Amino acid sequence: MNRRQLLTALGLGALYRPSARAQPMTSPTRVVFFVQPHGHVPSGWKMNVPSAPGALVSERSLTGLAESELSDVLRPLFPFRDRLLAIEGLAHTAALEDIAHLRRDGGDANNHNVAVADLLSCARAAQHPGFPCTGGAITIDQLLAQRTVGPGRFGSRVYGGDYIPNQVVAPFSFTGASQPTPVVKSPATAFLDLTGTPLPPADRAARMARARVSMLDSVAEEYTAVSRTLGREARETLEAHRALVRDLELSLTMAPSCTGALDGSLHTARQFMQLIRMAFTCDLTRVMVFAPSPAPCAEFGYPANHDVHANYAHASIDGATSCGQTYTPTAERAMTDFSLWHARHLAFLLSELDAVREGDGTLLDHTVVVWLTELGTPTHRHDDAFTVLVGGANGFFRTGRYLRYAPLFDNPVAGSLVEWPRIGPAHSKLFVSLLRALGQTDSSFGTTSATSSSGESIDLTGGLNELHR
Amino acid sequence: MPTVELIPSASTVLDLGVGPSPLRRLTKRQYENVVRDALGADVPLAESLPDDVAIGGFEGPAGARPNELLVARAQRAAQAAAAFLVSDHARLARVLGCESWTTAEARTGCLERLMAGTASRLVRRPLTVEERQRLLTRAAGWMQELDFEAAVQLTLEALLQSPAMLYRPEPGPSLDAFALASRLSFLLWDSGPDDALFDAAKNGQLVSRAQVRSQAERMVRDPKVTRGMWNFHRQWLGLERLLLDEHAQRTPDVDPAWTPQTQRAAFEESRRFVEWVMETRGTLGALLTNRTALLDAEAARLYRVSSFTPGTPVELDPAERSGILTRVAFLAATSHRGATSPPIRGSATMLRMRCTQVPPPPPGVDTSIPRPDGGARTTRQLVEARTSAPTCIACHHSLNALGFGFEHYDAAGQFRAQEAGVAVDSSFTLEGGELDGTYPSVLELGPRLAASREVQTCTTSMWVHYALGRAPVDAEQGWLDLVTQRFIASNGDVRALLVDLASSPSFLFLGEAP
Repeated sequence: MNRRQLLTALGLGALYRPSARAQPMTSPTRVVFFVQPHGHVPSGWKMNVPSAPGALVSERSLTGLAESELSDVLRPLFPFRDRLLAIEGLAHTAALEDIAHLRRDGGDANNHNVAVADLLSCARAAQHPGFPCTGGAITIDQLLAQRTVGPGRFGSRVYGGDYIPNQVVAPFSFTGASQPTPVVKSPATAFLDLTGTPLPPADRAARMARARVSMLDSVAEEYTAVSRTLGREARETLEAHRALVRDLELSLTMAPSCTGALDGSLHTARQFMQLIRMAFTCDLTRVMVFAPSPAPCAEFGYPANHDVHANYAHASIDGATSCGQTYTPTAERAMTDFSLWHARHLAFLLSELDAVREGDGTLLDHTVVVWLTELGTPTHRHDDAFTVLVGGANGFFRTGRYLRYAPLFDNPVAGSLVEWPRIGPAHSKLFVSLLRALGQTDSSFGTTSATSSSGESIDLTGGLNELHR
Repeated sequence: MPTVELIPSASTVLDLGVGPSPLRRLTKRQYENVVRDALGADVPLAESLPDDVAIGGFEGPAGARPNELLVARAQRAAQAAAAFLVSDHARLARVLGCESWTTAEARTGCLERLMAGTASRLVRRPLTVEERQRLLTRAAGWMQELDFEAAVQLTLEALLQSPAMLYRPEPGPSLDAFALASRLSFLLWDSGPDDALFDAAKNGQLVSRAQVRSQAERMVRDPKVTRGMWNFHRQWLGLERLLLDEHAQRTPDVDPAWTPQTQRAAFEESRRFVEWVMETRGTLGALLTNRTALLDAEAARLYRVSSFTPGTPVELDPAERSGILTRVAFLAATSHRGATSPPIRGSATMLRMRCTQVPPPPPGVDTSIPRPDGGARTTRQLVEARTSAPTCIACHHSLNALGFGFEHYDAAGQFRAQEAGVAVDSSFTLEGGELDGTYPSVLELGPRLAASREVQTCTTSMWVHYALGRAPVDAEQGWLDLVTQRFIASNGDVRALLVDLASSPSFLFLGEAP
């Protein structure tokens, strides 16, 4: 199958026009940030990793494992295990450093507000006296967007819903301090953003164009009808002609930059994922963020009138200490099922990307999806920020592994070791690695150093070299 | 309305302090209002600019930066609006301000009229000679390449995306009359100036403080002031939270009939109330105590009112309701789906009325209110039990107290005498401040809030924040205190406060551009 046949099969045949944007010889690396709210329950996420005593990094290969050997939450990603890199033991060090400062100097130190503000910025949150804090610097997605924007290609889009950790809607993505990136909440609107506005019915040019579309539609049907009566070569010739007519038809109904269709019957999350696939396929952008609102409980098997925050999150960790804490096994299982909801939708995105042939492989081979959450655990810890990288990223990461980082430093926040335990490397270092995956040479992202509660300096610069080739 | 001059002369203005004036961008609502006011209410705006996010309290903060999506949407919205306007002779005539364009001479004349009329309304000032010339030259080119309609269409698209449209540029060294007119109209009407204000700016009648006050006094009596009033109150009181997905449902035990339509109806009822009370009473006191409601069938069900006429005010039961804090929108927006949350209601009241942010709970705290396993226990009892630990009660003491005052309203905002078969206890005691005392319920709190200096001061600072798009700075404290004192002295007259704000130093003068 050649490129034009492939695109035609995908309903993207219009790309194969002389005027269409040429694919680069080497496929570019794309990034999707998939942000899950509320953290993960460790028991549902973690896997056993044999480790030597004292080892800072331990790993386990995922490629030879049976599906049942993956953890509950990671299991839906089994078909992609060769391109999966599951990382345990990273810390939201910048958020912890921020909280330590705020506890000393005042400000909105609400653990959850700071977590959302800092997740993608890895910097001190912007404070607004009397109101919740917000992102205090450009976030990694927007920095990558700035670095990958090009002629005919926008930097990024942020899709998803409202997230209200406390009273006020809190976005994850910022173009600068207190400058939220707008979130597109409707797939239909997002689709229009990608394809342009169909001309209004009253416009004379639109009337002509619509007439031309239906005219070409009938022409295409004629090609199909006639080709059925002919031998192989003649049929191929007419089918190719018909495809060109279809391309032309599509290019008249859509703005010239990108084509495709939105399947409104799919779950909203999956519609957004199709749009991500579409935008990447057309190289309309290389950076996408999808941060859905907390899923309704009915969608992962719990009562429709419950919600993740009010009914389960805070009761999901056995042994977590706090006043009024009431651990229940049901809440623990519910939070695992909540994570599974995300894993299953993520698997859909991965199959969408993997279905698009591109260059020497598939779109997924040239993409890295980063599955993050603003909390380590649903009980607001930041020491174990469970993170998944999945996708080939043009071979930059050594995938097919489960990696565990051991704690290295005392927590920047002083307090009980249960609430503020020792921490591993900063997740901001992962973003430095991501920058490198996209050909950037930055040596740090966000806050560059932190101080542990015991006075030790924590260096936040450099990438996570264990992840790379 | 009091007419005491706050600022006798410009020399004292510096002493009173002018804060910084960062560039402001139109919010989505302002953009849409300007387009409708300048181009017609029928212009399609389905997907105009991206939704605003309230950062630091209110939407449209000063100094907001553009983003990719904004620019893309502005382009699309411009294209859609312009195509709509040129596609119909009558609409095109309306936009151009001329009836016929059959001759070359007439077409030139129509374009000139477009520049002088609609174009200047869109950018809220006369076009400069250079701007006008650049646009006319472009238009002439488009006319040659395509036709007159296409030229008008593209000209409108260019105008709708221009910095003068999407932003509120205020070139220095001093604030010109048109920029001042825009400050007034965006504060009071959430839109651009009308003809009278525009003409006042043009004719040099917006140069003294008295002239500004006179315009502001006219504008706060104009029906368009409901836009500004509602825009402020929906954000200040967090009423819009009711529209979030989490409030689309209520558990069957709370309200089996609650649907997304109920959610919308309760929100709209709060809007009608705020607009009505500000139009007819115009005071903070009335906002916090008035029992008038403008109902539709669904809102009437929630308030258990059996007889009403849409559009006609009805009085709610004085034993059940008093002011905006006892309306369904506020009560449901501060509840969970299946239960009330006294701490959330208490926290919202502290934040909105007293400008007090209570410290967050320690990490890991379970803030949900589970149903009891056995025995009838009220939400109040559960919250009291849960927050009784010494680490919790320090902060929860005040939150709980205020929150318990609302316990006569369930999670759907409906009045209840009993919960779980037990009579509701909504009594509470406030300590350590102006609002000291024991209250049978929040019904008795409304008048006390309205009379409280603390609440009036908080309300003033919220309005100042809203008006300036930023928190007040130290240098502004002098006039802020004066404005606050006058608001208190006026018994919470919101329109008088707005006139004072519109003629305050930071409004009349251009601060430093940061």
